[in-house]
Amino acid sequence: MKKVTKDVLVDASTRLLFTMTDEQYTVLLDEFSILIRQMELIGQIPGVDDVPPMTFPFTALSHGLQPDEPVTPLTQEEVTRNAAHVVDGQIKLPKVVG
Amino acid sequence: MKHILDGTLVSIHEALVRQDITPLELTQEALRRAKANDDNAFELLLEADALAFAQTLTTPEPANLLWGIPYALKDNFSTKGIETTAGSDILKGYVPLYDAAVVERLQHAKAILIGKTTLDELAMGGTGMTGHKGVQTNPYDPTHTRQIGGSSSGSAVAVSAGIVPFALGSDTGDSVRKPASYAGLVGFKPTWGRISRYGLFPFAPSLDHVAYFTRSVEDAEILLSVLAGQDQRDATTLTTVFEPSKTLPTSPRLAVLKPVLDSIKNPTILKAFETSIEGLKHAGFTLDVVDFPLTLLQAIYPTYMTISCAEATSNNANLDGIKFGPGYEGKTYQDVMMQARTNGFSELIKRRFVIGSFVLMRENQDVLFLRAQKVRHQIVNALQTIYQTYDGIYLPAAPTVAPLFKNSSDRLSHEYLIADSHLALGNFAGLPSMTIPLGFEGSLPFGVNLMTRAFEDDRCLAMGKTIESVIGLRNLIAPLGAST
Repeated sequence: MKKVTKDVLVDASTRLLFTMTDEQYTVLLDEFSILIRQMELIGQIPGVDDVPPMTFPFTALSHGLQPDEPVTPLTQEEVTRNAAHVVDGQIKLPKVVG
Repeated sequence: MKHILDGTLVSIHEALVRQDITPLELTQEALRRAKANDDNAFELLLEADALAFAQTLTTPEPANLLWGIPYALKDNFSTKGIETTAGSDILKGYVPLYDAAVVERLQHAKAILIGKTTLDELAMGGTGMTGHKGVQTNPYDPTHTRQIGGSSSGSAVAVSAGIVPFALGSDTGDSVRKPASYAGLVGFKPTWGRISRYGLFPFAPSLDHVAYFTRSVEDAEILLSVLAGQDQRDATTLTTVFEPSKTLPTSPRLAVLKPVLDSIKNPTILKAFETSIEGLKHAGFTLDVVDFPLTLLQAIYPTYMTISCAEATSNNANLDGIKFGPGYEGKTYQDVMMQARTNGFSELIKRRFVIGSFVLMRENQDVLFLRAQKVRHQIVNALQTIYQTYDGIYLPAAPTVAPLFKNSSDRLSHEYLIADSHLALGNFAGLPSMTIPLGFEGSLPFGVNLMTRAFEDDRCLAMGKTIESVIGLRNLIAPLGAST
């Protein structure tokens, strides 16, 4: 497992696209020390790795294809209605290339 | 003299059918109470829309128990044309283009939505202290120094304070059933998939449930009859139809988990719990104190944190501040997103997302995320063993009455009580689970919880009615003394 350091947490938050203060990282490091310790104890539970991971409470109970019914898609105006920056019916972002 | 709005769904419905009161008058009273309340229950009151809709309801529908009944909705359900923020600044100004499935069903039943309720930000908290509208206070505490609990804090206030007879919330760990204990309410979470989650903002979908507050078990049953049902827009909804049970299971057997009970120290709660057990035995129940692996109970909280944070990190990646939310300027689109997410999320949410991201990293998955999912499986297997012998698990819903704010924290701690986290068992296994008022310590209520086998919502409700009858606390309204 990767060692939990401030640099690792800064890298994680940067990839999550937000910044945090030094004080917030200190709190987070404390929380990680608690969580990692608790997860280590969980690793000592007999048979813990003998069962498969549970993703959902029970397996899917319904299967099959949806009816192939035509639906009206959202209009361009509807799609862009909640965006703050819209130009000519399209969401405006800074240029990606030059 | 009590107001008609202080009644249960059935009594309010009967008054509407007799035309003792109109939906408009009922809605006006609900809005008056909402404005008079100072516990910070609402993100948004929908006064004009609610009154306009109520005015159209002029012909009572005797077979429709929700006709003309005001209700409130946690602000993490999509409402078409109505701002929905989930208590987070990153969604400020977001106006959904569609209604959640539960909103559609309640509209169809002609219930009247009077407002969107406050919550812990993105439903990721348990205190009612972390939403962008500030803290929610407990109507049973006039000094405003105690929690109502969260994350469905505003909905709990709205029903507890008598503003509406029911309100919807969501429950990922205990976000309806714990506040119900602190608020003197029935809080019900049916089987995972019983109610469509289409339009519910996801927190941790493997654990998320639509849940709700009422002031009686009968009201909870009525509401499930309206809200339950398969929905093709939510592939996890059950195909089976919910029908209320007409009778109590023959000689119901309930298990009391010894390690959870042993971790509760409050003498008032323990005495009330023992008294309820004696009453249930007189009513024909069999109750046994049974063992349960302590290591698995101690694993509940870290398992919940690991799984829920991982799922939340992934599910909220779409909150980029571009398609919706406040617009920020920037030189690159990453810069725009960085500003939106830095300013839009509170510290708590950021910490939870970093935890989620870390446990999902390739080099950490085996010993963190996947191991948490394996422990979840072990816990569910242990529960299934209990349910081979017993119809339900019966325990105090929380180890204390509503905590003081000054003793509350949203940070992880070395010290936590298994009695403070055991309700998450119902989320791990997707079980029907219901909190029912059990008693008072001074002027503050506390509750008991019943958790039954998956898919047996009807039996959970039937047993819950008997438990409610034995305890004798029903239709409570804060503050103490206002109850009917």
